[in-house]
Amino acid sequence: MSNSLSKGRPAALFARRATLSGYSWSGLVYIIPALAFFVVFVIYPIIVSVQTSFYDYDGLTLATPVGFANYVNVFADDDLRTALAHSLVLLVFYAALPVCIGLALAGAMSRIRIYGLTVFRALLFLPQILSSVVVAVAWRGLLASDGPVNSALEAVGLGALATTWLGNFDTALPSIGVIGTWVEYGLCMVLFLAGIVTIDRSLYEAARLDGAGPIREFFSITLPALRPQISIALILTITFALRNFDLIWNTTRGGPGTSTTVPSLFVYQDAFQNRQLGQASALAVVLTAVILIVVVIVQVLLRERGDKKTRTPRKERTR
Amino acid sequence: MIGAVIAGLTLASCAAPGSGTTGASAEQDDITAKVTPADVAELGDITLKMWADQAEEPLMEKVVPAFEDEYPNVTVDITYKSFDDLIATVVNAGASASPPDVFQGNIGYAVDGALVEAGLVRSLDDVAEIYGWTTGTGASTLAPAMWSDDASSFGTGTLYGMSPISEVQGIYYNTAKLEALGLDAPTTIEELAADLPIALGAGEQPIMLGNSDQYAGTHIFSDIAAAEQDPASIAEWIGGAPGSTFETEGNAEAASIMADWASKGYFGDGYDGLGNQDAISRFAGGDGVFFVGGSWNGASLTSEEFGMSSLITGGVGATASPWHISSKSENSLAAIAWLDMLHSPEVGQQILDTGRLPVITDSVTATDPLQEQTLTVLKDTIAAGGQVGYYDWSTTDMLTSMGGALQEVMAGRTTPEEFTATVQATWAATHETP
Repeated sequence: MSNSLSKGRPAALFARRATLSGYSWSGLVYIIPALAFFVVFVIYPIIVSVQTSFYDYDGLTLATPVGFANYVNVFADDDLRTALAHSLVLLVFYAALPVCIGLALAGAMSRIRIYGLTVFRALLFLPQILSSVVVAVAWRGLLASDGPVNSALEAVGLGALATTWLGNFDTALPSIGVIGTWVEYGLCMVLFLAGIVTIDRSLYEAARLDGAGPIREFFSITLPALRPQISIALILTITFALRNFDLIWNTTRGGPGTSTTVPSLFVYQDAFQNRQLGQASALAVVLTAVILIVVVIVQVLLRERGDKKTRTPRKERTR
Repeated sequence: MIGAVIAGLTLASCAAPGSGTTGASAEQDDITAKVTPADVAELGDITLKMWADQAEEPLMEKVVPAFEDEYPNVTVDITYKSFDDLIATVVNAGASASPPDVFQGNIGYAVDGALVEAGLVRSLDDVAEIYGWTTGTGASTLAPAMWSDDASSFGTGTLYGMSPISEVQGIYYNTAKLEALGLDAPTTIEELAADLPIALGAGEQPIMLGNSDQYAGTHIFSDIAAAEQDPASIAEWIGGAPGSTFETEGNAEAASIMADWASKGYFGDGYDGLGNQDAISRFAGGDGVFFVGGSWNGASLTSEEFGMSSLITGGVGATASPWHISSKSENSLAAIAWLDMLHSPEVGQQILDTGRLPVITDSVTATDPLQEQTLTVLKDTIAAGGQVGYYDWSTTDMLTSMGGALQEVMAGRTTPEEFTATVQATWAATHETP
């Protein structure tokens, strides 16, 4: 169709358009396998989840529509509100702390010439690639009442602080938080290191000529330049924090008591133990919406102001 | 084209999830006499498809060849799944277009209740009567597989499953430590309570407990609770009998005993941070004087070093996951013959030989002392009416609710009355909503 419309137009334009339309059509053909996969395994389940959330459904017998009742339950449930509060605490450990630690490490690594830097970087990134079940089991051992953490405390005379970290009502949630920090900081660090490489070295030289120290350099050059990486790191870690399930399921199962419950724990219990698929779907939909909202907020807050590029193009770099 | 796909999806998703046809149970042909090899031979060469718990494999390796010998036209094809995997998927498998002929469920609402409510499993009332399951030593073990017509309560009603395997809770003890302390094996909760301070005073951890999975504590609680009140009332409550309550003096007393023992350090430090599996390993390795567990823990313990004591009041016991026949199976005669074989004294002996407890206890002989003691505990428990089952059968979310609430009361953060009220509220949410 576009070909006939193009008749009589200048040859160059005609050729360009033909190429464009030809390209886009063949492109569509290429993405069909991936698209079909995506539709069947991602889009369709999402549609079904949203639909199921408006029904009372046990997975077997005919579902009965219940309108927004499942959503009302989500917001009326005290246990769920407690779980959400736990998630907010975990945000500090899973998102804020890893970003801070990652920044500090990346800042230090970019300044100081360390022998075997690649090895360190790989080692610090290791927690990120371990299976979360492995991480959970390992930390359960570390934090046990007779585990290495308590032994270390006793060895330095702090035996009074030793406790069963994951079995104590007051320390269980922060302990799980620390596990999350340990898992996430390596990812943040690698993201920031990659970002630092793109910062023009001449900025640092200029700062040094002006008499700036390492701290001033970090806050005036490194930190502002890393804004996009910080944004990505926060989006990844916040998503991890809010949908976190496996670490908690494999360490405390929400206990002791209800001191480490999180919303995703209830999604699992409703779906696979209570066979209340409607309730589970409603909670999952709400959780997804919350994550999306938080991510949008982070993106807006950390958006680069204006289009001004403060950085010099890399081509002009001189050494 | 993509638009068409999406339009198709939207159309498909307009219908309510689930199907309306599974609700009514299909008509079934009741048997009027025992199934003979000749009856089964008439089915022609068939494959009997089954789903079973991974833990059954050692037993199945003995039973399947015997079954295929007796019914030569039948090939048994068993798919084994881990317990967690099995209970998560077996209901959907039963609802599929070509379900396995025979499969194991799990007592309670989440699996068996769902299977019965959706009409996916065959009633076994006729089989139980013809084969005499309703008399003899295994009779009382059928109750947890009996359901009311609307699947709202179990314990009485129509039989839908059969388990050849029993479980019983009891007190395991470290024989050498008990002797060193100059103690006899306790036969009542009071005797156990009297032994605990002596063990603690001698520098031992009195009871090894790993409660981070939230369920090990409820087993100890249930042993005490069964001693504090009529076990029959516990069974009724677990089965969802209308009007029954958890807020009894006996349960409050049992909870306060748990809190008392915890505060005195009888469970050691940090039991909430220790997994149940880790706890049994430590006990097997020589830590702790007592371990209040169940016959399923016996496989980890040797009879040279450990014993199991029988409570006069009876412990608490139950049956393992029942076997069901799919209501859609075309080979139900062969399936009935299979259940008959599982319920036989020969298989009972094989069950004992593979380290577990059969429901048929009168014609089996134990081969080591610990097995003998466990068998005695089971017989005493059945005699005392203690086969009440597990609390977490009562509602699908009871394990989490009661397990967490018990951790709270044991830590002294709530009162025993608050504990029983929390548990009853969870029960009422399932059993008292219209």
